Amino acid sequence: MLYAIVIGIITATVAPLLHRTMGRFVVIPMALLPLLLFIYFCTFMPEVVGGHAVTQQHVWVPEVGINLQFRLDGLSLIFALLITFFGTLVMYYASGYLDGDPLLGNFYLYLTLFMTAMLGLVMSDNIFSLFIFWELTSISSYLLIGYKQAEKDSRVSAWQALLVTGLGGLALLGGLILLSISAGSYTFSGLLTQRADVLQHAFYVPAVVLTLIGCFTKSAQFPFHFWLPNAMAAPTPVSAYLHSVTMVKAGIYLIARLSPVLAGPDIWHYTLMTVGGITATLGAVLALQHTDLKAILAYTTISALGLMVTMIGIGTDPAMKAMLVFMTAHALYKGTLFLVTGCIDHCTGTRELSKLYRLGSHMKYSGLAASLAALSMAGVIPFIGFIGKELLYEASLSSYVLLAVTMLSGITFVAVAIVFGYRVFWRKGEDKTQLQHHAGFPLYFPPLVLAIGGLALGLLVHLVPTPLLQQGMRAILANPNAELKLSLWHGFTPVLGLSVLTLLLGYAVYKSLTVLHYRASTLKPLYRYGPNTLYHMMFEGFLHHAKAFILWLQDGYLRNYVMYIMFFFCGLLYFILWRDTPGIDFTNRIYQLHEIRLYELVVFFLVIAALIFLLGTRSRLTSIVVMGLVGYSAALFYILFGAPDVAATQLLIETLTVVIFVLLLHKLPAFTYLSHQFQKYKFIAISALFGILMTYVMLLVQQQAMSTSELKEYFGKTSYLEAHGRNIVNVILVDFRGLDTLGEITVLAVAALGIFSLLRLNPERGGKQ
Amino acid sequence: MKTIILVTAIRYLTPLFLVFSIYILFRGHNHPGGGFIGGLIGSIAFVFHVLAYGSARTVNSYFQLTVYHQDRQQNNSPTQYMWDMVSANTWNRLKNRTPDWRFHIFRVRPAYLMAAGLFLATTSGVTGLLRGKPFMTGWWMEVKIPFIGSLGTPTLFDAGVYMLVMGMVLKLVFTMSKE
Repeated sequence: MLYAIVIGIITATVAPLLHRTMGRFVVIPMALLPLLLFIYFCTFMPEVVGGHAVTQQHVWVPEVGINLQFRLDGLSLIFALLITFFGTLVMYYASGYLDGDPLLGNFYLYLTLFMTAMLGLVMSDNIFSLFIFWELTSISSYLLIGYKQAEKDSRVSAWQALLVTGLGGLALLGGLILLSISAGSYTFSGLLTQRADVLQHAFYVPAVVLTLIGCFTKSAQFPFHFWLPNAMAAPTPVSAYLHSVTMVKAGIYLIARLSPVLAGPDIWHYTLMTVGGITATLGAVLALQHTDLKAILAYTTISALGLMVTMIGIGTDPAMKAMLVFMTAHALYKGTLFLVTGCIDHCTGTRELSKLYRLGSHMKYSGLAASLAALSMAGVIPFIGFIGKELLYEASLSSYVLLAVTMLSGITFVAVAIVFGYRVFWRKGEDKTQLQHHAGFPLYFPPLVLAIGGLALGLLVHLVPTPLLQQGMRAILANPNAELKLSLWHGFTPVLGLSVLTLLLGYAVYKSLTVLHYRASTLKPLYRYGPNTLYHMMFEGFLHHAKAFILWLQDGYLRNYVMYIMFFFCGLLYFILWRDTPGIDFTNRIYQLHEIRLYELVVFFLVIAALIFLLGTRSRLTSIVVMGLVGYSAALFYILFGAPDVAATQLLIETLTVVIFVLLLHKLPAFTYLSHQFQKYKFIAISALFGILMTYVMLLVQQQAMSTSELKEYFGKTSYLEAHGRNIVNVILVDFRGLDTLGEITVLAVAALGIFSLLRLNPERGGKQ
Repeated sequence: MKTIILVTAIRYLTPLFLVFSIYILFRGHNHPGGGFIGGLIGSIAFVFHVLAYGSARTVNSYFQLTVYHQDRQQNNSPTQYMWDMVSANTWNRLKNRTPDWRFHIFRVRPAYLMAAGLFLATTSGVTGLLRGKPFMTGWWMEVKIPFIGSLGTPTLFDAGVYMLVMGMVLKLVFTMSKE
């Protein structure tokens, strides 16, 4: 399974190269990869259906528990098969949709990378490797949504998707860490065995909240649903793949995966049911107000995702059964409809409902695919959508609220299905929409395959999908004996009555769609207070205030920067001193004053005199020379106290400083006091504060060092014996603490580059030379 | 700044400073000195050269090598041609040349020095890894070399520091002394 991931990543990276050499035939290897992976995953079918999970383990970073542990059970296999099967079709479809696009190679790179990440996500048993693949899907989907880089809309939407899902990813990481702490395990299988600990642990509630935020952002649940319709700015194959079948299902997958661990307490069930219910209702209501085909599909997708979350929230056997079957059915028909919409968009140049009539006569196969998918969506026998819908109703019969939500979504699905399957393609009476070109084979073949798949799965429901779905259900329920039996015909039950009622009501809604669209325009002002606006307000406000803050903090005056650094440093030091360290005992150190020698006093007064002189001087040259004097005096101090290395460095640095100042001196303007004298006293005060604090720290260190430190002895002993050097200072620098020195010289190099670029910057002449 | 005494003295002092700086670099392990101080001394040698002659001249004499060459004429023997090339690149290098002479410039920029220094310092640490020990574990030669003492990977590290410090100061000084 690791090889599947590795091959995926390799194929992704060579895609642009292949596009350059093979031209449009790049589709052959790109579509072949998911197809082969699909076949590869099919070979696992007997083992998984037999009830055994396939596991693989590769050590990665064992110290922190991050390993590539893969585990393929029923749930994972369902997802893996969906991902690779759709991957094959979408890759092929994209070759028609983006034919002749110069960036097709990059597109395949992103899409293959996304597919690989998605596969890794569903196969991971280790929660951190799941998280890594999770983030990888966010990043690659960002690249895919923003594929049409030239359009602002596309870029903004890509940003939005990345920020929302990235924020959720952050929350998810927190949740996963809390979970791993409370269970003491880094794998899902480990979490499951420690389930009792997790439920008892104090971290349970925060872990649930954080994990669910992660899943809700990814699965576009209320109130994070807004990024999904905006993400329709992506090319249609991307929308079809990411926003109906794979990426948004990642959140569903993770909720389902964690459900056996976390389910039980009320907070889990009620949160899922509430959020899922609101999302389903909201998606259904909003879907009826739009006239853009892609937007309609996006909102119905949100509604469907909400239903799935609700089902997991209900958590009973029938509900899980309904979730799995509905998810499969939804993937098949929604994928088809998206691909058909892309085809319509490509051939007619518009997705506006009001401009599309009687497309069926030109686009027979697309129309056929759309109609088959629509029948499945509407829940008509014998499609798999019918079974899904029956199960949904059955699962939500327990509560009237849930039943109402499910019915509402169902009615919307029927109305939307009639729009797609009949209104756009076959309805008589209007003028035909003229095509710009006919749909090629790659544009109508993949949706047709998917639509027929929906029909086939419905007819052969007890043969093909049932055993696998049963294993998936056992994984979700953590109950190896759970039974899942599907059949096309349940007999005349109340649920069948509800289905028929839904169809009738859906038809009524379809009939009144024009009225609804008209009414919807009056609701527009309401959307100004939606989460999308909130997001934009936050985004822009953040940028605005960040800019203002930076302008305030970094005003371009070096003296202020130095001042801030000093202030911060002093504050930090003062805080530490105040909190942690004992006071200095001066009483028995007065005697040290007797040990002061005459030349020390001389140097001391030299420095003091130089400083006082410095404050009064009005010439740069004088101040530099005086500063040099202070520096040399400091070097003298070092020599007096027996630190020749430091003294030598200090002397050389002082020399260089003076020389460099002299080099720059003639470039500077004449020396004048531009600000008030007060400024000077301010800087004097800060310098004095800094000096006093440092002196205090020095005295403190001296007081402590006598008794506690063993470093001196250690270095004295080992420096010659182990490090072959008699100069302890140098041995410490290059050997004992060599890594520190390496860090320092790296900083030095970076600082030099920074200074260099500042010097070359010539703002008066308008930028760089 | 261009007094005749300074200019003449610097011509002889600069190489001396450089040799001294390298001596300080190797001496550092047992006596006061080391890569940082050595690098500063070495860069001061060049800084004074810049003060006396200007940065263009410093770069020309120490940091770039111009190699002149010319296609062999029909009437020249190979020996004669070799002699001409050697003479053009050594004692006759400042003579004016006719346009058919071409030249290549090999230039060491201060940034290269910095990069090389950082690279050297890092690789000296990697040798520890290659022997299966932690990063930056020292390794010492058995033999001792006169004046320098024994050599080991920390010496290499120190040499990296030397080059980096020197490169940094030179980069600043060269940039600043340009108009």
